[in-house]
Amino acid sequence: MKDEQRGSEHPTVGTYVKVALVLTMVTALEVGVIYVRRLAPIVVPLLLAMSAAKFALVALFFMHLRYESRVPTVLFVGPLILASGIAVALMTLTGAFLVFGR
Amino acid sequence: MTSADASGRVLHAPPLAGVETPATVSSWLTTVDHKRIGILYGATGFAFFLLGGLEALLIRLQLAVPNNTVVSAHVYNALFTMHGTTMIFLAIMPFNAALFNYMVPLLIGARDVAFPRLNALSYWLFLAGGLLLNASLLAGTPPDVGWFGYANLTSKHYTPGPGVDFWIVSLQILGVSSVIAAINFIVTILNMRAPGMTMMRMPVFVWMTLVVQFLIALAFPPITVGLIFLMFDRFFGTHFYDVAAGADLHLWQHLFWIFGHPEVYILILPAFGIVSEVLPTFARKPLFGAPVVIYSGVLIGFFGFSVWSHHMFAAGMGPVADSAFSIATMLIAIPTGVKIFNWLATLWGGTIRTTTALHFAVGLVGLFTIGGLSGIMHASPPVDLQQTDSYFVVAHLHYVLIGGSLFGLFAGAYYWWPKMTGRLLGEWLGRIQFWVMFAGFNLAFFPQHYLGAIGMPRRVYTYPGDAGWTAGNFASTVGAFGIGVSVLLFIVNAWRSLRRGASAPADPWDGRTLEWRTSSPPPAHDFDTIPPVYGRDSFWREKYGPRRGAPAAASPAPPHLPASSHWPIMIAHGMGIAAVGALTHVSIVVIGALWTIWGIFRLALEHHRTHAHADQTGVLGLDHRKMAMWVFLGSECFFFGTLVATYLAYKGRSVVGPAPHEIFNIPVTSLSTFDLLMSSLLMVLALAAVQRGDRRQALLWLFGTAFFGLIFLGFQAYEFTDFVHKGFTLQRNLFGSTFFVLTGLHGTHVAIGVLWLLALWVLALRGRLGVADAVKVEIAGLYWHFVDVVWIAIFTLVYLIP
Repeated sequence: MKDEQRGSEHPTVGTYVKVALVLTMVTALEVGVIYVRRLAPIVVPLLLAMSAAKFALVALFFMHLRYESRVPTVLFVGPLILASGIAVALMTLTGAFLVFGR
Repeated sequence: MTSADASGRVLHAPPLAGVETPATVSSWLTTVDHKRIGILYGATGFAFFLLGGLEALLIRLQLAVPNNTVVSAHVYNALFTMHGTTMIFLAIMPFNAALFNYMVPLLIGARDVAFPRLNALSYWLFLAGGLLLNASLLAGTPPDVGWFGYANLTSKHYTPGPGVDFWIVSLQILGVSSVIAAINFIVTILNMRAPGMTMMRMPVFVWMTLVVQFLIALAFPPITVGLIFLMFDRFFGTHFYDVAAGADLHLWQHLFWIFGHPEVYILILPAFGIVSEVLPTFARKPLFGAPVVIYSGVLIGFFGFSVWSHHMFAAGMGPVADSAFSIATMLIAIPTGVKIFNWLATLWGGTIRTTTALHFAVGLVGLFTIGGLSGIMHASPPVDLQQTDSYFVVAHLHYVLIGGSLFGLFAGAYYWWPKMTGRLLGEWLGRIQFWVMFAGFNLAFFPQHYLGAIGMPRRVYTYPGDAGWTAGNFASTVGAFGIGVSVLLFIVNAWRSLRRGASAPADPWDGRTLEWRTSSPPPAHDFDTIPPVYGRDSFWREKYGPRRGAPAAASPAPPHLPASSHWPIMIAHGMGIAAVGALTHVSIVVIGALWTIWGIFRLALEHHRTHAHADQTGVLGLDHRKMAMWVFLGSECFFFGTLVATYLAYKGRSVVGPAPHEIFNIPVTSLSTFDLLMSSLLMVLALAAVQRGDRRQALLWLFGTAFFGLIFLGFQAYEFTDFVHKGFTLQRNLFGSTFFVLTGLHGTHVAIGVLWLLALWVLALRGRLGVADAVKVEIAGLYWHFVDVVWIAIFTLVYLIP
């Protein structure tokens, strides 16, 4: 999609309501999976994936990143990725989860 | 009318009707003119620079001879703490800010910055922070823990007096000032360039300014969080830096240096930008490989976030971390070296005019190279282990920050002084100043390499006579006074210039960039018509060709300049009062906070109905305010990323219970999460209603969003109260400290959002929120959705993951 086209589009109220429904369902799933013992081995990646999906839905639709030019995406997602990398490094360096041994 | 030539170039600059700037005290207190704010930054920074210099001279006097007793050990500690903090935050950064303010709009062909009143607020907050820090001297309790403030020396146990509290609160205010300014300049540079000024046509100084603003916006939040932790430890008895409670003291070092290393580039990159303007002008050649110089600056900024732990090689991080940070640090030498060679190649074969500005610029190239080379030595962990905490490091950092930053800033001062004042500085006196500073600087700091190599540690207030350090220290002290003399020479030169200096023409150096196209000093509106841009070094091309691209049409409308405002200084007063309250009594904090909130509302509504402020769409097709909000949210990613990372890093480290799974009520928190998610739905419905002019729906959904926010806050209040009744508090354990501070700060963000939404709702109720105001609802919405996505992350990472 070209930038100028992206900037002029707006989602409909119906789209907003659908996104809200999906967010509700994923939240319910998130809460549900922590009580399912058989999912225990994969519960952490499962929760992280669902959380990331919710994050992305709000950012793309409610914050309109999907419909904006690339400028807001770069200004927000760039720092988000950098901050995530530094957060992971910080946790690794303080021993919260060791990617490498010391 | 201002007289201009056929292409709109300003030749003489009597003010345009309606845009005069009277020279009264109140006009300076309420100014929003980027040039005046630049001058305020420069003058205030210079006053602090003299103070920091005086502290340095006292340090050197004490160390001039062995077993000296000019000052006590305690005073010495306070001196080096105040010297470091002052020079970094109150001298070099504001000097840079002075040039950003004055020059960037001129260099990109703009009439001001994107948010002139926020620009004024940044200055007044900087002044408040600087005065508060130095008030600690008047109170007799200056901080004495080093500019790095390592935990747990800063704890109440080891440093009980208010000195550290002064330091914390001042740095927080200075941080707010810097981040506001950073957002402002990012939007200005990206969105307010003159037509034809593509990114790659921007002067290198503007590029370096842009990189520095991103570094400030992204690097300050981690130190803000670190300081919040320290403040909570000292004021409320939390355990962030309490080893007995399971804390890791490395946390402070990480948070400090995640900020601290980019801070080095925040200090040095503007000087690189200045040199990249000065050398081509006085070599009468284009900057050699300008795009590569730009890419190198961007790379330096990017790599700046990946090297912080090279300051911690002695902290025992292990070989893997040491190796990673060592490699990353060495990589930074590549783009830095590229710049050095490009500057040399610019001089090579040029028709060189040896002005004072060129002297300082070439001085930077030589002296920074020495500092850079000793920096590469520190990049090797085994070598660093020998050098760390020795005078070798003192020599290195001063070669970077004086030989680099200060020499660059003096180059900029001599180069742009005529543009700022309309007067020329004395070249003869300037060259004497350069040589005195060059000699004094090398005499002061080169011997410190040797002193460090033979074992003299940093931060010692005296030394024995038989250590072999006497001659080096004496030479160093003589050199430091030489630097002092050179600064005095600059003051004399500046005074003479302002009193009876030769008048400067618009283009005294036969310059290459747009600022030389307007009068010296420029009129209030900078340019009569927005200047045409013909390529890189546009003004040079305009004068001598070749010209590329069609010049922009002269704007038919008279220039709009924002009216002066007293709200920036009022808000800074409010924040200053709140800061004083933090050091004295909570009631004063409340007064200061209420004053600040009132000021912010008045500032926000000051031009609510000013027609000229309605459309703020910039060259990237994005509204200035929206772009600013996106940059702010990027900065907030670092803020909450640091908070969440700390929570996770400390998870399971508490030495006493309760643990998270013993205390959390997941069903209740799920309900509050659902509530916040649905508030985001209401927010987009409110925006859609405002956009289509449906006032009734707008009122309904705006109030609904705020109401859902209030419900979320109610859930949080219930949760916190329940925890406290169960004995789980901020002070209970490490988990309590991290949990309450993380969720409490998120709750504070929600509360701010609710206030914002209610303000919009009141505007809508009074019929003052029309379709034209949709962007105001949109940026409030962006903030609100961000608070929502942060909670999505917190809900998973804090509550759900076992």
